[in-house]
Amino acid sequence: MSGEADEVLVRRVARSGDESALSELYDRYSGLVYGMGVRYLGDRALAEDLVQDVFTAVWRNAESFDPSRASFATWLFRIARNRATDLLRRRRARVRTIGDDKVPEPGEADPAGELSRGFDVVAALSRLSEVHREVLELAYFEGLSQREISGRTGTPLGTVKSRTTAALRALREDMLAEENG
Amino acid sequence: MSEHSTVKDLFGPYLIGALQPEEARRVEEHLEACAGCREELRDLRSVHECLADLATAGTPPPDLKDRVISGLPRRASYRVPIAAAVAAVVLCTVVLGALYAAGLFGREAVASATLEPTDLAPRAGGELRVRESDPTDPNARAELEVWGLPRCDENEYYELWFGEEGGRVSAGTFRVDTDGRGTLYMTVPEEAGRYRQVGITLEEFPEEPRMNSAKVVLGGELRRS
Repeated sequence: MSGEADEVLVRRVARSGDESALSELYDRYSGLVYGMGVRYLGDRALAEDLVQDVFTAVWRNAESFDPSRASFATWLFRIARNRATDLLRRRRARVRTIGDDKVPEPGEADPAGELSRGFDVVAALSRLSEVHREVLELAYFEGLSQREISGRTGTPLGTVKSRTTAALRALREDMLAEENG
Repeated sequence: MSEHSTVKDLFGPYLIGALQPEEARRVEEHLEACAGCREELRDLRSVHECLADLATAGTPPPDLKDRVISGLPRRASYRVPIAAAVAAVVLCTVVLGALYAAGLFGREAVASATLEPTDLAPRAGGELRVRESDPTDPNARAELEVWGLPRCDENEYYELWFGEEGGRVSAGTFRVDTDGRGTLYMTVPEEAGRYRQVGITLEEFPEEPRMNSAKVVLGGELRRS
């Protein structure tokens, strides 16, 4: 991730209604919010609604963001989780499926806590160190093999393997810390 | 490095399915004998499965960003103190009211709605009319009259929405007087009159924003004239 820190961008949104700052935050996070929306709402149109609602909420509430209490990613995905829960609860359409995974019945907002855990994962992903986030993004989102990651990053193959494990472990530990924090 | 440590370092690529067959066998043989590693792998698997799901969800359509940016509420109420915002609303109401009385907004209504109360404000009601503005102005005008609404607390305000299945747009925020009444002349997005529904929610400035904290107090069907 390059450019200005998230917290600087959200401050620009709060102080001057800077659309370019919101646009940059959108570029950084819309994919994850959309992905979570598709996964847990089971509907691409609803996932688009979720993205729209979340970034509108960031726009409207930027001034209430307090970086001393949580990172921007934590704050953003908390908004996303709450909004997605709301959308699930309100949904009246028939149950749809993605692959073989049934999404929760309409009216049952996140009965097993899956949605909450899902958003916790993406929030934690955003908080990982650069090297850990990079190896997971290359492996999962770009679909590179461990050898290809080694070539792309100039990192020995053995290190890529152990770093992939360490990144998953860091993700898990970050989530636990947030839960217990 | 011990066998235990070496194998633990392979859990990530093992879950992804990125190990050579002999490496995967080595991991599985170790797992059969090591309860601690089985537990750790189970923990990591839940994280892995979520990332894998996420990776197959696809990316947002390219035009969504434009829709998000163009749909942002056009107001600055969050960047000024509430008292100043209220004063500005009052001033605008007076000025726009005078302009309205002078016939500037005398065009025919293109859409209107009678607002019905919800359980949250059972004595409330309202009328809304949307009028076209000057052809050179990309916005439309809305006249909103409400009554019987509970007074807002210091951190609360009302918000007018136009919406239909698949989308909604904020048309502005307001507060009511001590009698729960308000008459407002608002600039709204040009497409507002084409929506089917209109609603007013009670919102609050949150410490931690929760859009579902909004409470619907009035709602109605928008009728095209």
